[in-house]
Amino acid sequence: MAFQSRSRKVSELRWAALGGLPVVLFLLFVGLPLAAILARGAGEPGFISRLTDASVLQPLRITFATSLITLAVICVACTPVSYVLARKRFPGRDIVDSLVELPTVLPPVVAGLGMLMAFGQRSEIGQALEAIGISLPFSMTAVVFAQIFVSAPFFIRAAKIGFESVDRSLEETALTLGAPPLQVFFRITLPLASRSMIGGAVLSWTRAIGEFGATLMFAGSLAGRTQTMPLAIMAAFEHDLGATLALATVLMAISLAVLVVTRLLLRRWSVLT
Amino acid sequence: MIEGHVLHRQGPFTLDVAFSMGNGRSLGIFGPSGSGKTTTLRAIAGLVRPAGGRITIGGETVFDAESGAWTPPHKRRVGYMPQQYALFPHLTVRKNIAFGLQGWATEEADRRILELAALFHIDDLMDRRPSSLSSGQQQRVALASALAPRPRVLVLDEPFSALDQGLRHELRREIKTVQDRASVPMVIVSHDWADMVALCDRMVTIERGRVTSEGTPTEILKRPAAGILPWPTSIDNVFEGFVTLPDKFAGVTACTIGGELVIEAPYFEARQGDPVRIGIRAGDILLAIERPRSISARNIIPGRVVSTRAGDFETEVIVEAISGITASAQATFRVEITPRAVASLGIAPGLHVWLIIKTNSCFVLA
Repeated sequence: MAFQSRSRKVSELRWAALGGLPVVLFLLFVGLPLAAILARGAGEPGFISRLTDASVLQPLRITFATSLITLAVICVACTPVSYVLARKRFPGRDIVDSLVELPTVLPPVVAGLGMLMAFGQRSEIGQALEAIGISLPFSMTAVVFAQIFVSAPFFIRAAKIGFESVDRSLEETALTLGAPPLQVFFRITLPLASRSMIGGAVLSWTRAIGEFGATLMFAGSLAGRTQTMPLAIMAAFEHDLGATLALATVLMAISLAVLVVTRLLLRRWSVLT
Repeated sequence: MIEGHVLHRQGPFTLDVAFSMGNGRSLGIFGPSGSGKTTTLRAIAGLVRPAGGRITIGGETVFDAESGAWTPPHKRRVGYMPQQYALFPHLTVRKNIAFGLQGWATEEADRRILELAALFHIDDLMDRRPSSLSSGQQQRVALASALAPRPRVLVLDEPFSALDQGLRHELRREIKTVQDRASVPMVIVSHDWADMVALCDRMVTIERGRVTSEGTPTEILKRPAAGILPWPTSIDNVFEGFVTLPDKFAGVTACTIGGELVIEAPYFEARQGDPVRIGIRAGDILLAIERPRSISARNIIPGRVVSTRAGDFETEVIVEAISGITASAQATFRVEITPRAVASLGIAPGLHVWLIIKTNSCFVLA
């Protein structure tokens, strides 16, 4: 008996070692660089005060402003797209489906270049816009464009799964109870797909906050205008490591906050729905 | 009240079903799975637009292929209960019932909700979510929700398929109460004979998209050749036997069941010795504690009460037949009578009784 339990303990230990070791290694792999930023940053003179320096707050404001506009545009404009893709059958649907997913696999730099070619000053659209006094490249609008291009597919994919999971007979029953189609959508379909949509929205938003390549190509890195946090980090890195570390620390804190808040939010949501 | 003709492509065959509720309060659509019952029902609710035909509800044409008339489902006022009850999982029971009451004055809506909650005994479930309810409770909430906005007609798709036998019995009775009290015409789709017999004034049977018979459930049950329809096992008493004597002039065909118990059924053509199945509904059997005389009923069978079980409105009495001659007959009858009758006759296990069955209550199922 004693022998048996001891042998079981040994085998449990072996499994713990086999499974646990990779987990520990992975946590170190992810955690060490993050810890290194904090450690090096703390070593810099006046680090704490630098966290709220204008050089941090300015790109932070731009990042929040642009990414929140991006998020709003995506939620409003891409919800119908997701619904159509989830529910309607039409010729060429598979092609549309693949095109919508394309930005997730396309290198952002290529996306930025493409936007520059399409909407840039030398393009026909760009010249037409110029004629009415609008210049897209190197503007805050361009930052939003780049962010939407890169992050919208994350929302669309999640929302589509959400809509697909809503039982059709619920919508049909709602119709027979006298609710017109639009009301059925807002009172039945949307609430039931909301959990999935919130997950997608958060993913899109964080992707927009971190956007770098497409923004750099299409909107440039103009301090005070188009320079978001990731671009500011790159710019500061060339001359001021302390500022770089301060920017990175703030961005890390935001990511962590988003992660925690989302988890709590979705947990409450699952109780509600 | 409701009539129509639905033409539609349905997988391998064409659906071509004409139906009419006539003056009755309920119409049954009966048939095996895949026969087109559900499509017909969905066409009535406006969830399927048929390729051809015409549907009229309470005098209003809601669909006419020729004129192109089409009333969308949210304007039809047809209460619809799909097979899986389709309760809104993110809403409480109260809000589920209130869903169809958009546009009602708050006070009026509240009164309606309370009224339905009482009718279906779900008062204490009002703040729960559908996922925490039993299937019987879910069924009640679904019925209450569908009835809430006072639909012109209620259509039920296999209303009891998710329930066990005992619950079916109980809920059938509740729907019957709704029919009586709320006087809502109903269209019921089912492949269970008991639903037709218990709930429908008229019925159509459909097979592979075609109407094969039409009439009252009793009329259809009486027709010996009911095609390939499934056996009405839920017609409480079904006996296997053989034909003893067909007598055209007397209008009866005597059949022997359970070894040597002779039962007279309405006349049908058969030869002596032909196998036969006889169905008798529990509510069609009378009980007497003395041998009745001077009575028109032809089947008077002595028996002994085996057990009694009280339901909400009726008491089920199980009676074992005793053959007059050799006491070797083997037939057990399920009888339903009111609790008052049980009390006044003093019916209890062991009591000798006579079963009285009209010839016309014996359905020949062959």
